[in-house]
Formats: sequence, C-alpha cells, structure tokens
Amino acid sequence: MAEQETTHFGYQQVPVEEKAVRVREVFDSVASRYDLMNDLMSLGIHRLWKRHAIALAGVRRGQRVLDLASGTGDLAARFAGIVGPTGQVVMTDINEAMLSRGRERQLDQGRVGNLNYALANAERLPFVSEYFDCVTIGFGLRNVTHKEWAIAEMFRVLRPGGRALILEFSHPTSKAFSRVYDLYSFNVLPILGRLVTNDAESYRYLAESIRMHPDQEGLRTMMDTAGFERCTYFNLTGGVVAIHRGYKL
Amino acid sequence: MTTDDTVQDPGARADFAIPAGLLAAIEGALNQYIALDPEGARAFAPTYGHIICIDIAGLGTRLTLIPGPDRVQVFGAYDATPDCLIRGAPLDLLRMMTAKRKESQLSSGAVQIEGDAAVAQALSDALAGLAIDWEEQLAKVLGDPIANQIGRTLRAAGDWGGRTGETLKANLKEYLEEESRLLPTRYEVDEFLRQVDGLRDDVERLAARIARLAVLADAERGDPR
Repeated sequence: MAEQETTHFGYQQVPVEEKAVRVREVFDSVASRYDLMNDLMSLGIHRLWKRHAIALAGVRRGQRVLDLASGTGDLAARFAGIVGPTGQVVMTDINEAMLSRGRERQLDQGRVGNLNYALANAERLPFVSEYFDCVTIGFGLRNVTHKEWAIAEMFRVLRPGGRALILEFSHPTSKAFSRVYDLYSFNVLPILGRLVTNDAESYRYLAESIRMHPDQEGLRTMMDTAGFERCTYFNLTGGVVAIHRGYKL
Repeated sequence: MTTDDTVQDPGARADFAIPAGLLAAIEGALNQYIALDPEGARAFAPTYGHIICIDIAGLGTRLTLIPGPDRVQVFGAYDATPDCLIRGAPLDLLRMMTAKRKESQLSSGAVQIEGDAAVAQALSDALAGLAIDWEEQLAKVLGDPIANQIGRTLRAAGDWGGRTGETLKANLKEYLEEESRLLPTRYEVDEFLRQVDGLRDDVERLAARIARLAVLADAERGDPR
C-alpha cells in the first residue's frame, strides 16, 4: 500500500486532504471575533502592515483587484475606495463563515457597487486568465495547502503589467528579537486566544503555522519560480511580517 | 533586497518618511474632521479615486491623499504616478487649503501645482468649504439644552469681546492723538499729505519753467541744442 502524502498543519503532519478541513475549523472557530483578536495579537500594528501593503500595491481608479483570503476585508475595503465605481474589487475566502462576516461588514459600512464576493480556493481560482491588475493575499498564504499552486494561480489571473502582493508573517531578522517573539507567540498568544475566543488551540496553530511558513528568501524564490519578475520583499517590524511583491511582465 | 525593518512609509523618494503610525493618526483625524460636516463632505466627490501628492518643501516629505466616498486615505509615498502634485512650504500649503481665495498663493508661486490642477482646486475648495457646526457636535455629547446654553454664552462673550475691543481701540486712538500728541490725527495727516502734493506740483512746475528758460537763453546766445 502506498504511503499517504502528508503536509504540515502547524507542527503536526496531517494527510494533505485534511489540512483544508482543519484550517477551516480554525477559522470557523475564530471568525466571530477575528478583528478583535487581530488587534489584540498584533497590538493594532496589523493595520499599519495593511496600509503599507496598499501603498506598495499602487492601485489606481478603474483597475480590477483580486483580494484572496480576504477575511473581514480590511484590504478590499481600502481598494474599493481607490478603484471607484469604474473599477472592481473581488473579495474571496475559502472559509464561508469568514467571507459572510466580511460581506456583512462591508455592507454595514455602505460599500456596494464595485465590491464582489466569491467563495474560492486560492489553489484553483474560478476566474479567467489575465483579468486583474493587482492580486493580493494578506495573512492567508501560510494556511494554503499547496502554496506554489496558489502563487501560480495568482500569476495566471494577472494581466501583463499587473502585480501580486503577499502580506504574510515571516521570520524575524534578529536572533534576540526572535526569542522574544517566540516567547510571545507560544505563551501569550494561546492565553489571549483562550480568553477572547475560548480557543487556545487555534492560536497555537497560528503561531506554529507562522514558523512553518517559508522565510523571506524562500518565498521570493517561489515567486520567481512561478514566473513573477522584479520580485522584492519589504520586512516590517523586524521581519515579523514581510510584504513580497512581484510583477507579471 | 529588503527595506529597513521598521514599519515605515514605503517611499524611498522622500528625504523624511513619516512613520506609518503618524500617517494613520493623520488619516483618522482628517476623516473625523470631514465627518463633522456631512454636507460639506460631498464637495470631495470630484476628487474621488484621484491620487493627490503633496510635496512639503523644507521638510523633504510627501503625503499622498486618495479621497473616496467613505474616507480620504492618507499615505506617505504611494507607488503610482500621482494625478496631481501640489508643492509648497507648510504654511503656504495650509493657507491655500484653508483660504476661500487661492489666487495669491498660486500667482506668487508660493504653491506650485503639476498635473491635473482641477483636482487640486477641487480638493482645496472642499477643505476650505467645510463649515463645522460646533454647537451641534457639542449637543451630541452634552445634550441640546447644555450645548445651546454654552453656545449662547460663547456668542455673548464674543459680542462683548468685540464691543470691548472696539472701545479699547477708540480710547487708545484718542489718547495717542489728542492727549499725548504722540500721533497726528487723521485731519492733520490729510492736510500734511495735501501740502506735500502741492509742494511736489510746485517743484515740478518750477523745474519745467527753468528748463524752458534755459532753452530760451541758449537760443538767444545762438547755441541751438
């Protein structure tokens, strides 16, 4: 009998087909308090990281933007204001609970018209090729089972001249800071998770999944391999987070 | 290939990059201010989606504003060519943004606009046109009766201040002109200026007469000039 193919789920090895189910369980569990938890976990700095990503995306009015793993739609909301009524922003997530929550939030804040929603797996996007001017994924890539498939799909749906931005937790550049960060991730974070969402395990997974995610150079190589050109990355907060950007030329 | 490892504005073009936290605070404060006048906020509509770059001379820094229906987004450098660039010293920019008439700042060259000037004009018109009803805002916090009372007290204080100021000015003028005689009165100044004008005319007439006589004297000597 052939050995079953496995992948990582945090520090555990799980069958490939099981990772998506497990990730969905994590986000189903945290969806209702996702925004609050993000603020607590990052001390509000995630808003600054997202602003940075928007500035690097350089989207203009009238353009089409695809935001993958949108969550509650922080990036998509800003893009919608920039592209205006002649542009289009598509907000997607693989998790129905998260996407519904994001959609409700956008509607409550009066954003309609140029904002569309799609329940989609980043590994197999339901969009035609060469359609979008910009594709972003914020804090989502590390939860994707086959990251290289997702990056290839981002490349496929981009128009020539378009750019992809990956905002994701990464690896601190300083060893001393890295130790403090580990202490915070594995001790403080699960406690916060238990207090706010009554779910320490999900936040332990988040901390572990960040450690298993490729480092800055590793992810840049993956983008190069997918065909992206002029790939660069920008370390934020000592490398806790990095923004990778590549162009389809 | 990395930038430095702090959260900063991504613009490498600016000499001084405004920290991202400060940019977020500026954006929050600006939008709260605009929200205080919902009617006036509609004037931003012609600027929606336009990338407006403000180059603050002297500080070597840039701000990028992208107005939209729900908020004005504020960045340091934005990685796209701006629709218009407004360049000037901080005070000149502030004057242009808040003044009803911008001609003096523009014609003197204190503020320069490159690109779509209509967008820059629409933005500064919208900002200058914001009229905040502070009494209404106060009423949301303290309730109508107290806000109304405070408003009336402040208006009365303003009226009293205005009247007192006028009286003080008149008294000071009278003291300087009539009692201490340190300054001339308006009538004395007018008379003095009239005499200066008369003297200047007399001098000009005399100069003309001398010139005419000089020509006549030369003619009599047979020395045509």
